Amino acid sequence: MGDLDLDNSSSLVGSTASGEATFSEPPAKKKRNLPGMPDPEAEVIALSPKTLMATNRFVCEICNKGFQRDQNLQLHRRGHNLPWKLRQRTTTEVRKRVYVCPETSCVHHNPTRALGDLTGIKKHFCRKHGEKKWKCERCSKKYAVQSDWKAHMKTCGTREYKCDCGTLFSRRDSFITHRAFCDALAEESAKAQTLGSSQLANPNPSPNAGKAVVVASPPPPPLTPSNNVVSPALSIQSSEFPENPVGLSPPPPATTCLTSTTTAISTTATTTTSTGNCSNTSTSVFASIFAPSTASQTSAAANSSYSNIVSSSAIPSASAMEPTSLSLSTSLYLSNNGSTLFPTADQQDHRQYVASPQAPAMSATALLQKAAQMGAAATSGSFLRGFGLATSSSPPQAQDSTTSLQWSNNSHSHQHKRDGSGGAAATVAAGLGASSALLTDLMMGPPVPFGVIISP
Amino acid sequence: MTSPSLGSPYPWQRELKSEERGLCLIHLLLTCANYVAAGNLENANIALEQISLLASSDGDTMQRIAAYFTEALADRILKAWPGLYKALYSTRISSVSEEFLVRKVFFEMLPFLKVAYVLTNQAIIEAMEEEKMVHIIDLNSSEPAQWIALLHVLSARPEGPPHLRITGVHQRKEVLDQMAHSLTEEAERLDTPFQFNPVVSKLETLDFEKLHVKTGEALAISSVLQFHSLLSSDDDFHRKKFSLESKNPNRVHSPGVLQMGQGTLGELLEKDMGKGYSPSPDSTSSSPLSPVGSVKMDSFLNAFWGLTPKIMVVTEQDSNHNGSTLMERLFEALYSYAALFDCLESTMSRTSLERMKVEKMLFGEEIKNIIACEGSERKERHEKLEKWIQRLDLAGFGNVPLSYYGMLQARKLLQGYGCDGYRIREENGCVLMSWQDRPLFSVSAWRCRK
Repeated sequence: MGDLDLDNSSSLVGSTASGEATFSEPPAKKKRNLPGMPDPEAEVIALSPKTLMATNRFVCEICNKGFQRDQNLQLHRRGHNLPWKLRQRTTTEVRKRVYVCPETSCVHHNPTRALGDLTGIKKHFCRKHGEKKWKCERCSKKYAVQSDWKAHMKTCGTREYKCDCGTLFSRRDSFITHRAFCDALAEESAKAQTLGSSQLANPNPSPNAGKAVVVASPPPPPLTPSNNVVSPALSIQSSEFPENPVGLSPPPPATTCLTSTTTAISTTATTTTSTGNCSNTSTSVFASIFAPSTASQTSAAANSSYSNIVSSSAIPSASAMEPTSLSLSTSLYLSNNGSTLFPTADQQDHRQYVASPQAPAMSATALLQKAAQMGAAATSGSFLRGFGLATSSSPPQAQDSTTSLQWSNNSHSHQHKRDGSGGAAATVAAGLGASSALLTDLMMGPPVPFGVIISP
Repeated sequence: MTSPSLGSPYPWQRELKSEERGLCLIHLLLTCANYVAAGNLENANIALEQISLLASSDGDTMQRIAAYFTEALADRILKAWPGLYKALYSTRISSVSEEFLVRKVFFEMLPFLKVAYVLTNQAIIEAMEEEKMVHIIDLNSSEPAQWIALLHVLSARPEGPPHLRITGVHQRKEVLDQMAHSLTEEAERLDTPFQFNPVVSKLETLDFEKLHVKTGEALAISSVLQFHSLLSSDDDFHRKKFSLESKNPNRVHSPGVLQMGQGTLGELLEKDMGKGYSPSPDSTSSSPLSPVGSVKMDSFLNAFWGLTPKIMVVTEQDSNHNGSTLMERLFEALYSYAALFDCLESTMSRTSLERMKVEKMLFGEEIKNIIACEGSERKERHEKLEKWIQRLDLAGFGNVPLSYYGMLQARKLLQGYGCDGYRIREENGCVLMSWQDRPLFSVSAWRCRK
């Protein structure tokens, strides 16, 4: 154990660097208490947060290298030929020490829950009450304690178990538990493929584990793989919203669940907020989502896998919803070089109908329809009859000045009568009036029939 | 080409109003096309000349369409003289920045791509619920906005964002660099794990090894307007079956002359150049049974199926531009592009240079490809949705209906365009986008059927 920054500082244990063992016989093996039950005789020590988070507090004045323990610094100083002194244990018998967490709200603040290990309490404090400074590059999980981070790096990305449904696990126990529920899932998902109008309205809490489970108290931050265990326990709790999934304490293991609910929430919330027909408070959005018989489009918008939402509860962090509610309709929309999927207001403006400054003209679609109509009306079956096929089966929209045309939409194979070229051209030309002269001009050389391919 | 001048030999043209002019243009176009199909190049030339007096790339919609269609017809004629053709085209400069611009304008000003992206993303999000490792293969990776949107939604997932990997395929390295940059920047801003792997390749020569699909990851494939180019093939095999099929009574087409004309022209050209200028596999009239197999398409679909994607979202033009004869394709294309040009007319001014660029470099090139090219050169082989459904079904994919929520977002987007010509409807789980009544694009989602 290293030095503690207490007023009466202290003893060292076990360091034999100076070669001075003060015992003649090998020291008795340290007795370990049962976990969770500190030695009632032990001295309870509460260290300051500063102490607990401190690392490398002992610094060499020559080269500024930091050490966690004074002993190590002293040994290092030998290398610089500086005077060094190792302190020894003052007494052979030391009173057992246990440590409590200084954070009053913490469970380990209570002396009956004190931890016996200094390193342990330091790590605990950092993990729970400290800032997560270590981040995994691959999956961006964050850790406060470097050793945790290192341990994670060893296993991150090295998945060993894969379920048929495609989920990966690095731990066997979570994999097995998942798989037990996954078979049930596989059948469900085959049926649930047709997402049509869905069943937010039937909140049936069946253990469709894999997909449709509900958020437990804070949504699980990206934690150790054991969180992937899907548990059929369903209880909705309100929670923080997705924009800070990290930095939350891990939920109690029994109810770690994955959920797609909040996605539904965010997406459906988006729907309602963006379609503007809700009162624009996130709480009302949630209320409508969670209400079992909601008839609004929010319910229909939910995925079938969201059908397991059971209870309705007000979501406290209403404001937290705002960012996510923006996600679908506005995120792309935050123009990125002006390229967005959902137009912002000003973009819409200059995308308005610009017909006014231009000479009003028949749209090309209308012209084609008119041409076909004229062609169809022509007695000698001009080549334009072929137009009557390719378009929709419903009556076309009345264009600017065309008459609505009924297309013959059943004609997949009608043969078309061919005409002598002069006749057809003349007929068509007659229909056009002014262009007759033009077309007759074309009629030179061998006649070419205007027979037309029927396109089905 | 500008509007008819006062000194034109046809004084009556001055009086043509826009509607009459439009009708005239349609007739002239069809006349010209007939001549081209029949091999009557002299008359075709006269028709082209007539059209040139009326058509104009900066006039009204019909004038513009006529301009590009006649350019396509002229291109087709010219291909009969490959030497001449190559001489004219060898000094073309393709500007990457112009291509960027045209793509951007198409993306911004018309809603089709945005709707496709919204539906694609939604289908992916739903398929990837609870997945931790997600790999998306983007077959035409050129628009960062699509994936930026997805990144936002994924990062807001309650269980945390998955580790997302996007493999982008594109012919041009610059485009992929841009994608990589925009996306990684956004991912960093959102602090989500993300990786972009560029694959510089044409789609048809794509080496699947380069996609680095790993076992254990959940795979999604996004194909936006890409699959149809895989229907093009070296037609020699098909030529024997399909050329000069005027004798085949089952085939629905106008008998005799034109078909013969097509064949004649083809043969004529072939004699001249020894090149197989043959009708391409017909995917229309021979239908009801099955779409014509295209070896390339089938092998791609098999390969994709072999990757066992969790979801594959396909956006395609919903028009039949893959008919075996010129006239069939011309008719269909006239309708489709009339609708598309009308879309542009409704949102951009006639003097807009950007609009002209889209019309010329995007639509014009597609029209040219549909009209003037054959065989493996003809890439714009758009087909109707029902054909795609059949094809994908045969290849072992099962349809995943697009969700109600996705439709909702799509409708909302269309409303935002403030133009009531756009229509969207759902059919058999797939989505069809139309202008007025003309369906133009379809979006559908698929999974591997075991």
